[in-house]
Amino acid sequence: MKHLKEKIPLILLQSVIIILIASTLGFLVNQLRSDGLSLIGDWSPEARLTASSGESMVISLEEAREMCSDKEAVFLDARSPEDYARGHIRCAQNIPWQSFDEYMDRVFEMIPDNAWIVTYCDGEQCSLSEDLAKELLSMGYQKVKVLLNGWTRWLEAGLHVKME
Amino acid sequence: MIGKYVKDEIMVVGARLILGAVFIYASIDKIIHPAAFAKAVYNYQILPDFLVNLTAIVLPWLELVLGILLIIGLFREGSVCIVTSLLLVFFSAMVFNLARGLDIYCGCFSTSTEGSADAPMAWYVFRDGLFLLPAFYLFFRTFLSRGQRAEA
Repeated sequence: MKHLKEKIPLILLQSVIIILIASTLGFLVNQLRSDGLSLIGDWSPEARLTASSGESMVISLEEAREMCSDKEAVFLDARSPEDYARGHIRCAQNIPWQSFDEYMDRVFEMIPDNAWIVTYCDGEQCSLSEDLAKELLSMGYQKVKVLLNGWTRWLEAGLHVKME
Repeated sequence: MIGKYVKDEIMVVGARLILGAVFIYASIDKIIHPAAFAKAVYNYQILPDFLVNLTAIVLPWLELVLGILLIIGLFREGSVCIVTSLLLVFFSAMVFNLARGLDIYCGCFSTSTEGSADAPMAWYVFRDGLFLLPAFYLFFRTFLSRGQRAEA
């Protein structure tokens, strides 16, 4: 222990230097590169779901409600089958993001190329809907929207739900 | 007597080389893909949002610098300290998330175990635990062992 105590000033000095060098390198390279990050990123769901064109994938509860009742969109519940069975938005099918591979064929069968799709899951932090939406986009579907914190908000608004 | 010291020095050098290589290797992909790494940091849901990018910018370079320092044997005390601390922090973060059922892959709180990424997460915890072994060994040899200093 004596060794350790005596060396604390040395440890601190070296650590500060190491961290300074690493930070300088990090910031420098970040500034110079074309794909550098902004120092403070916007990690809100809205920011994460906005395409570089500026168009947002976020859909409001009101719009979602309309699309459901007018049957204008395919709603996809991205949660697990258990959660889905316990209750889901009335017009929603279940495509659990975590088992997406198994459901991929079903997606192609169920959803025409030019259909509007609305994905949702539950909770402000949940990224299942976001991940499902992005995958659908990369599969070629162009009209995909995300209803953030969909399940809770749908319930709170007292809108039509179904249970299996 | 001489044999024991030589064996200890070899083990110290070995630990430094292994950890150094691991850290350098770990840093490369994060430096090449900052946005993906930032998303990974964000997904841990531990740091406040405003620190996510700063971490993604600095941490990979810290790992690279530490890896190089470990291998060439410079700034021994500082690098061993930071390396051990980092590994402990990573370990704690992973165990914490494992415990609260945070499915890192999806970022959802989920107590259902089916189809979740629990298996990979447990593997990462185990692997990080493995890296802690040479780290603790180096820490012990650098600071706590009497007599011979870790001077390889």
